Amino acid sequence: MNVEDQGEVKIKQEADIAMARRAIRDLATKLGFGVTETARIVTAASELSRNVFKYAGAGVMQWRALTNGENKGVELRFEDQGPGIADVNEAVREGYSTGGGLGMGLPGAKRLMDEMEIDSGIGKGTRVTVRKWRRR
Amino acid sequence: MGNESISVIRIHDVLLVTMPADPDDATVAALQERTLEAMDQNDVRGLVLDLSKVEILDSYFARTVAETAQMVGLMGGETIIAGMSPAVAITATELGVTLGKTRTALTIDRALDMIGKQGNGTRPRRER
Ligand SMILES: Nc1ncnc2c1ncn2[C@@H]1O[C@H](COP(=O)(O)OP(=O)(O)OP(=O)(O)O)[C@@H](O)[C@H]1O
Ligand SMILES: [Mg+2]
Repeated sequence: MNVEDQGEVKIKQEADIAMARRAIRDLATKLGFGVTETARIVTAASELSRNVFKYAGAGVMQWRALTNGENKGVELRFEDQGPGIADVNEAVREGYSTGGGLGMGLPGAKRLMDEMEIDSGIGKGTRVTVRKWRRR
Repeated sequence: MGNESISVIRIHDVLLVTMPADPDDATVAALQERTLEAMDQNDVRGLVLDLSKVEILDSYFARTVAETAQMVGLMGGETIIAGMSPAVAITATELGVTLGKTRTALTIDRALDMIGKQGNGTRPRRER
């Protein structure tokens, strides 16, 4: 797996969620993802960057353009130094929310993307990594 | 961000509210306020919410749309959501968002036709 290009968007205020979406829309389009695939990736980016802002107050989204042989893909990593998630398995369950939400951000992002990994714990912040591969 | 604004125009006794392609949270929040104010200031049957330009409907946006429709309902008006693109419909469904019981239409024209009519599209909701 090779990294062809990378960058980041800092998430410090609410408007940065839209900035993150725009960066990812441009990236996905440039990598040749179709309209629906792009909408999936951008929607996942929106949910995950909103979680960073809502639960940690600030953090960063790092993006990478990947190639794996013939396949092109995109990787998004959301990292924050917030309160962390006590039980990750619980957090990806549909409807689980400590923030008065519907608890659809994490399970939804997982469905929209091909791969998702969460590394989090109380007091150590949260890192959510998602990947999507282009189908040809 | 000049293209980020919500447009509200009146067509006979319906408000046509058009959302921009990728509204930030502040713009989404303004949807509720602008719509309810416009409902209050105009004697209309309801509103058509034009989502045809919208490129992404995340959980926050969807929740705001459903809530707005509910509030308009409390005020005695009707909301029809129109013009959602296939990509947005697919993505929103996979994400798991719903728009509550809000009625929908394929196009703005169809939505304008539906306003004030019951679900079967024949009977006016109330006489004017
Ligand atoms: N970056 C994060 N830092 C700390 N906790 C998080 C973070 N992201 C998610 N969580 C925890 O995981 C739960 C589930 O997140 P998810 O995005 O699925 O739902 P939600 O944000 O509560 O609601 P929704 O996204 O539907 O508005 C959150 O309520 C929160 O407790
Ligand atoms: Mg969330």
